[in-house]
Amino acid sequence: MAESAIEKIKKESNSLRGTLKESLLDEHTGAIREDDRALIKFHGMYMQDDRDRREERAAKKLEQLYSYMIRLRLPGGFLSAQQWLALHEVSEQYASPVIKITTRQTIQLHGVLKHHIKPTIKEFDTVKLDSIAACGDVNRNVIASAHPRFSAIHKEIFLYAEKLSKLLLPKTNAYYEIWLDKEKISADEEKDKLYQDRYFPRKFKIAIAIPPYNDVDVFTNDVGLIAIIENNNLIGFNVSAGGGMGMTHGNAATYPRLASMLGFVNKDELFKTVYAIATTQRDFGNREDRKFARLKYTIDRMGIDVFKNEVEQRSDIQFQEEKKYDFTIRHDEYGWHQNHERLYYYTAFVETGRVYDNDKVQFKKAFYEIAKSGKAQFRFTCNQNIIVSDIQPEHKTEIENILQQYGIIQITKTASPVRRNAVACVAFNTCPLALAEAQRYLPSLIDKIEILLDKYNLNNEDLSVRMTGCPNGCGRSVAAEIGFVGTAYGKYNMHIGGDATGKRLNKIYKENIEEAEILNSLDELLKDFSGNKSFNESFGDYVVRKKIV
Amino acid sequence: MLTEQKLQSFKNIIHESSRDEIIWMSGYLAGISEKNAVAAPPAFTENIISTEKLTISVLYGTETGNSKKIASKLASVLKGKQHKVTLKALDQYNADNLKKESLVFIVMSTHGDGEPPAAAKRFYDHLYKKSHDFSNLKYAVLALGDSSYPLFCKAGEDVDLKFKEFGAIQVLPIEKSDLDIYAVSDAWINNVVNNLPTVANALLPKPQPKHATKNGKRFYKGVVKTHINLNDRGSLKETWHIEIGTDEAIYYLPGDALGIVPPNADEDVLEIISLLSANKNQTIDYKNETITLFDLFKTKLNILYMPLRIVEKYAKLIQSELPSVRLDLKNILALYPFNKDVSLEDFIAILEPITPRLYSVSSSPYAHGNNEIHITVGRNKFLVNDKKKYGFCSNHFAGLNDGDEVTFYINSNERFHLPGTDKDIIMIGPGTGIAPFRSFIFHRDDEGASGRNWLFFGDQHFHTDFLYQSEMLSFFETGSLTKINTAFSRDQKEKLYVQHRMMQQSKELFNWIENGAYIYICGCKNTMAKDVEATLINVISEEAKLDKSEAENFLSMLEEEGRYAKDVY
Ligand code: SRM
Ligand SMILES: Cc1cc2nc3c(=O)[nH]c(=O)nc-3n(C[C@H](O)[C@H](O)[C@H](O)COP(=O)(O)OP(=O)(O)OC[C@H]3O[C@@H](n4cnc5c(N)ncnc54)[C@H](O)[C@@H]3O)c2cc1C
Ligand SMILES: Cc1cc2nc3c(=O)[nH]c(=O)nc-3n(C[C@H](O)[C@H](O)[C@H](O)COP(=O)(O)O)c2cc1C
Ligand code: SF4
Repeated sequence: MAESAIEKIKKESNSLRGTLKESLLDEHTGAIREDDRALIKFHGMYMQDDRDRREERAAKKLEQLYSYMIRLRLPGGFLSAQQWLALHEVSEQYASPVIKITTRQTIQLHGVLKHHIKPTIKEFDTVKLDSIAACGDVNRNVIASAHPRFSAIHKEIFLYAEKLSKLLLPKTNAYYEIWLDKEKISADEEKDKLYQDRYFPRKFKIAIAIPPYNDVDVFTNDVGLIAIIENNNLIGFNVSAGGGMGMTHGNAATYPRLASMLGFVNKDELFKTVYAIATTQRDFGNREDRKFARLKYTIDRMGIDVFKNEVEQRSDIQFQEEKKYDFTIRHDEYGWHQNHERLYYYTAFVETGRVYDNDKVQFKKAFYEIAKSGKAQFRFTCNQNIIVSDIQPEHKTEIENILQQYGIIQITKTASPVRRNAVACVAFNTCPLALAEAQRYLPSLIDKIEILLDKYNLNNEDLSVRMTGCPNGCGRSVAAEIGFVGTAYGKYNMHIGGDATGKRLNKIYKENIEEAEILNSLDELLKDFSGNKSFNESFGDYVVRKKIV
Repeated sequence: MLTEQKLQSFKNIIHESSRDEIIWMSGYLAGISEKNAVAAPPAFTENIISTEKLTISVLYGTETGNSKKIASKLASVLKGKQHKVTLKALDQYNADNLKKESLVFIVMSTHGDGEPPAAAKRFYDHLYKKSHDFSNLKYAVLALGDSSYPLFCKAGEDVDLKFKEFGAIQVLPIEKSDLDIYAVSDAWINNVVNNLPTVANALLPKPQPKHATKNGKRFYKGVVKTHINLNDRGSLKETWHIEIGTDEAIYYLPGDALGIVPPNADEDVLEIISLLSANKNQTIDYKNETITLFDLFKTKLNILYMPLRIVEKYAKLIQSELPSVRLDLKNILALYPFNKDVSLEDFIAILEPITPRLYSVSSSPYAHGNNEIHITVGRNKFLVNDKKKYGFCSNHFAGLNDGDEVTFYINSNERFHLPGTDKDIIMIGPGTGIAPFRSFIFHRDDEGASGRNWLFFGDQHFHTDFLYQSEMLSFFETGSLTKINTAFSRDQKEKLYVQHRMMQQSKELFNWIENGAYIYICGCKNTMAKDVEATLINVISEEAKLDKSEAENFLSMLEEEGRYAKDVY
């Protein structure tokens, strides 16, 4: 079988430059040229169009309303106050004002018009923010447990996330030339030992979890690292590989998969090990069919032992026995917390990660004021929430007043556990792959689920419900206790039986059902659950024990 | 039955006449005999067959090409008679030569609101600037016009009067032609030929010119098939793409315009009638037809934004002082009531017809067939002491719905038609100026024309105001549109217009022009057209290394050759 079209585009792209400069100059269209649509992803952007507007625009003899989604590279999901101010300005000036917190701990701006891309990137650059390799066949945003309170080594882990991100960054200067009008650099400086001219066969994702916290859903990543701490010292990492959520409806050969444990490595061996996994995927990954190009398929094709062996050969590091660890929680713990340095952290609930102002709560106003005060910083969680962080005790009340004033504390307090744990992907109107709604619909479905939970006195269940508009799994719906996967507009496959901490995937329970049937099924299941669950048994565990799936 | 002498001269005429002329003459003779019209037959006397060779200038001022056609025909007939004839467009003619001329025939139309064609403006103004001595000059004027405009053939009349005033001698009284041009112009040409003065200067009794009886417009009835606002949400503009379907075939060419006389609003009409305390069903005679007062005000008379000349007439009529401001008729009547001792007829006599509005046709008979016609109407908005108001006709179109009836005519524009299929064309049409070019491109695409097509378009915002974008893009992809440049003025801090894009493309533009490309400009007259023309001149002088005036000549040369045409409003 021949190499996929994308492989050719990458090779002939002159280090990801393609004809992007020319595309930007095309006066007659808001789109960019065909091949550039694949290349721009490597620069952290996607060409999209407003799917709500297609028909109307066609009638008006206007092309689709093309715009660009920009995703920041934000290892560990950290943003300084100054950076927040810049982000806020850009979102107001050049984008649809909603700031979207993603399931990989960074943010996306949507609706950036072609002629606004350069100004946007320039703005970001002034505060040392970039979107390099936030998308494309490269290492994606490296995620790490977000909340500092869990451990003194959080800072250290955060640095690992940054270093890994740097280690696996493409060497090309294209981003700086195209978007920032910087000078060319020498061919040698651009030489890329890791990516060469072919990059990875597919996206590549790394997560670091700090037990007992698995907010990063570590096993859904290509490389899942679990920090091992012994008497308050980081000694190394359990390394797992081959996670991935994506599948394709009607293609049984595709499947979601949790990462397989390879073993433990000392912290000074981590980079070599990860690098070896990366090059192994680069050289053994499938470049013919992108549906089977992720590391999870490479491993299953090679066999885990052959794969592990190859990695050890390349890194010259033997995996040790995996070390004991324990995950007890995956969702965010909201409200105020204090870390070992007595700094305060407020975890705010941002439903489906959409930071904007409405009549109930004004996130943007609040965070803007907080950022202006310079008395707090910002961290994003993989559950699409935000942590107002690193607040000196003497500033706590000031920040708290702002959070209060704009309704954030109220929202966070009053939201039910099921709502606060819920995750939904973007889907309509921007995602070109969406088959059904997700972030625009889940909140209203939760309203109805709350009524059922109330009916069976399950209001305090930490139930995890996740929805994605298609089987790609951006909201990790197949790793939830209850997952909804869009199949067609208004229709979903309902999955149940995942565990609460991300160690077990769920199974399909009903296919292609609409809201009414979703609610009926849940009504039955929850009735059964409330009646017969054993003490502290989660819904996911219950339906598996009862062999309902 | 003819006397020997008559028969002889008759034979001579036949002998000397072209086939066309003979055909015309037979028709003419048939015409007068059946109508026994006042028009005397051409006087068959010796001196018209005078062998005298005269030096004659035939001058024309045209906007849409009619006057040129007629002038050319006259010139060739006169040449046929061995006279020394020069044919010139008025913009090419130095008015100071007039005092040196002995015999001049002028064919000119009227445009705007009783104004001369743009190309005749300089000549026209020259006559008004200072007085001249034309006492050695003999002349005749054929004025082209459209009697459905308030000031019928005004520009021609003005020129005729000025010539008289300056002592020139009329060979023929001014002739006015309505839209059925040939009936009148052919007769006029013949009168001219038959009344050429002899050297002896003995002017013959002038035959009465034959007047056109009908306006000559062909009206079509159609219904609105499609009615879309092309601007997207959030735009400050409102541009309606309107498709009108007809049962009978419509004859037009790309470059022609659709003309309509928009009807007044019922409520305005009724208000006026009640202010006149008249009865809406009462009938009266208007331009030899009998019509109810309601229909008269609804469909014939202009009642909006009354010209000052009418305000003045009305002031006289009711013998009172009116400030010279343009108001709608209903306001005038409300503020300065109509009084009983003035007759309704006298009042109506001072009113003017509704001015027809024209819209460049944006469809192509090839691509869309002959039973369908498209126009592109920008809803005209303006402020009157901070109150938003809309243009009369464009607002009428904006308010139409599918299925509504539309009565229209075709205003052909000879000078704005497509060249041969192998010729390159450069189209500069921001805003609604794109309308005729949509027609051009559809047409050439359908013809499979080999010539290249280059479009310059501009408007306020790329995402909301790119008229016909998806069509233009597919023409661009298939190659029917060779090049497309756009300028959106408000998408960046500094304003950006089509002329800036043209400047950026200077070299390539001139290449095309040197290659024989035809240049067309359509759209806003006062701002865009001026700047674009200035830019063309810059491009030419830069690329051809000519100084400004040489470049201007270059451009007017192109205009002469029909390679540079404007359709601006
Ligand atoms: C924004 C985000 C969902 C969210 O609501 O937060 C997202 C949004 C999109 N994902 Fe995703 N993915 C996002 C996390 C994920 C995750 C979860 C994770 O990584 O923890 C997954 C499942 C894990 C995995 O990779 O297997 C995920 C698996 C996919 C896939 C399937 C990949 C596969 O190999 O199976 C696609 C489709 C593809 O790549 O062909 C995809 C493609 C997309 C695109 C870019 C659609 C496209 O290719 O044109 C979506 C953009 C929608 C939009 O308008 O913004 N996204 N995507 C997440 C951004 C993460 C980030 O900041 O980098
Ligand atoms: C050859 C030709 C082709 C054309 N092609 C097109 C075309 O393709 N598309 C297109 O949209 N247009 C075209 N036009 C222009 C069109 O014919 C009309 O002139 C235009 O639509 C405005 O007419 P209206 O009746 O809507 O506005 P009008 O009512 O005639 O008003 C025109 C202007 O008069 C002034 N005015 C009117 N009433 C008042 C008042 N009460 N107080 C103060 N000021 C007032 C305002 O400045 C207003 O903008 C073309 C014109 C010509 C000559
Ligand atoms: C925009 C426009 C305005 C006109 N205004 C008048 C007018 O005020 N009075 C008139 O008698 N004819 C008017 N006409 C009619 C023209 O004079 C008539 O169509 C004539 O045949 C055009 O001759 P040409 O092609 O030589 O310019 C107007 C025509 C147009 C297109
Ligand atoms: S899961 Fe599907 S619908 Fe949702 S964002 Fe990802 S690709 Fe789009």
